[in-house]
Amino acid sequence: MAGGATTPAWLLESEAGAFPIGCSGRRRRGNALEKTLDGLAKIVRQAITSEETAARPGLLQSLDARAKLPGVVALLVAVGLVRHIPVLAGLYLFTLGLAAASRIGLWGFVKRVWLFIPVFTGVIVAPAMFSFVTPGEVVLPLGHWFGHEVGLTRQGLTSAGLIVCRVATSISLVVLLTLTTSWPGLLSALRALFVPRLLVLVLGMAYRYLFVLLDSISEMVVARRARTIAAGRNRHGARAAASFSGGALFGKAHALSEEIHQAMLARGFRGEARTLERVRLRAVDGTWLLACLVLAVLVVGGDRALGL
Amino acid sequence: MRLGSEPLLVAESLSYSYLERFAALEDVSLEVQRGERLALLGANGCGKSTLLKILAGLIFPDRGSYRAFGEEVSEPKLEDEQFSRGFRARVGFVFQNTDAQVFSPTVREEIAFGPLQLGLAPGEIEARTNDVVALLEIGDLIERAPYQLSAGQKKRVAIASVLVMNPELLLFDEPTAGLDPRSRHWLLELMSELGAAGKTIVFATHELEQLEWVADRCLVLSEAHRLLAEGTPNEILSDRELLLRANLIHEHTHQHGALLHSHPHERGHHATGTAG
Repeated sequence: MAGGATTPAWLLESEAGAFPIGCSGRRRRGNALEKTLDGLAKIVRQAITSEETAARPGLLQSLDARAKLPGVVALLVAVGLVRHIPVLAGLYLFTLGLAAASRIGLWGFVKRVWLFIPVFTGVIVAPAMFSFVTPGEVVLPLGHWFGHEVGLTRQGLTSAGLIVCRVATSISLVVLLTLTTSWPGLLSALRALFVPRLLVLVLGMAYRYLFVLLDSISEMVVARRARTIAAGRNRHGARAAASFSGGALFGKAHALSEEIHQAMLARGFRGEARTLERVRLRAVDGTWLLACLVLAVLVVGGDRALGL
Repeated sequence: MRLGSEPLLVAESLSYSYLERFAALEDVSLEVQRGERLALLGANGCGKSTLLKILAGLIFPDRGSYRAFGEEVSEPKLEDEQFSRGFRARVGFVFQNTDAQVFSPTVREEIAFGPLQLGLAPGEIEARTNDVVALLEIGDLIERAPYQLSAGQKKRVAIASVLVMNPELLLFDEPTAGLDPRSRHWLLELMSELGAAGKTIVFATHELEQLEWVADRCLVLSEAHRLLAEGTPNEILSDRELLLRANLIHEHTHQHGALLHSHPHERGHHATGTAG
């Protein structure tokens, strides 16, 4: 071998007989490594899908993010102020219309929004539907507890429905924005909303290097999988491996950040972020922004007219 | 090659160590003439990248002095706004790790980053961006995010982001590392063209293939981080003893004309290709 050392004898002999290659019939299900790899692939896939959707021709895609973001923010504020379920339902239908006009698959869009609601909102609003949290007219009796009738109250159901509709509409608006806007577009929109340039620069770089670090994690996991033979339930070993990988990743990230800083300095960066300004907004962008503001005012005004 | 009377870069007795413990350079001196194409040769870890970073004013030597464009380059000096701007505008550095260099959300913003920092007018930035995009044939990548690019494409973007600043001195760290044969050939050709256009080029490599094509002069660094030799590519490549000492070739490497090739030891195979 190179360097003058001799190759050990065992390395020159085949050990094929020691490990039969045929199937034994015993199967091992995907473990934590497989799940980690799947998760990493999913993140990258989602990012690519979002970029593809944002590049499609459609209503929202044709708008400048600097007009789209403030428009969506105005609608979000309106959603937060509305107190009637039918008004919120109307706004939700409006988001479905926007999705259709932006060539976003409706089933996927609806699924994306409603999958999260039972998990996050359901847990919070479920107790509010019961008479012991929200007293009122019991519409669905469930039994008696210390002489009091227990069940779902009309007031409780209304509050829960209001929160669920509000969350669903808000999430729909945010999903619409992120699906139809490229990441650089969102960053330019943040700049238009007077978010400090340095913060926007850091956000942009954080997203950029997320993928580099995902690649590193993926390589580390694949390298470990390549050398994982037995199914083993060695939790201590798995924890140690995770902490070593975490440490190695931190070290890599640190070295990379130092080099990025040098690369920025080499091109004249002196701590003050100067970024590319986009072209001027078009009439259609202004129309969208105005339409959103008018709609928000009308929705809140109409909602108030309906009373409490 | 256009040689001027005063050297563009003068470094004297440079020494540098990482964490004050691990020596990276020991007493290295060099001069680079205007318009010259200088190759820094040496094995992995011999200090080539460190030397390039010192020449780019990104790190500063523990001992020794460095002058560029007739001015001393030091940390306090680079804190001066005018000097920093003038120096950064004149020196372009293409990093080996393109992931470190290509840090913006899109290719367009990446290319515009340098000119923006130098305070060029928006119209000028746009015109220059369009020109380098055409030169490097990356028009179809302009709105793409860096994570969507291949290694070769990222290298093109990194070079575009440096060329757009029109630097006098171009520093390349292992420019062809990790590139496929087509991208490698394209890059060497570009370096040759830039050299012919009068740019001063200093690049670090441990690949000897096509050295005569892209370099006028070579400096060889030893594994002890010292300057081992200096000469034309022809002089260096014909000194087999020197190349062996610098760990640039293996004892089973042979030269036939311009082609270096290796015979693996006692394996019965015959591999031809890059030496080192």
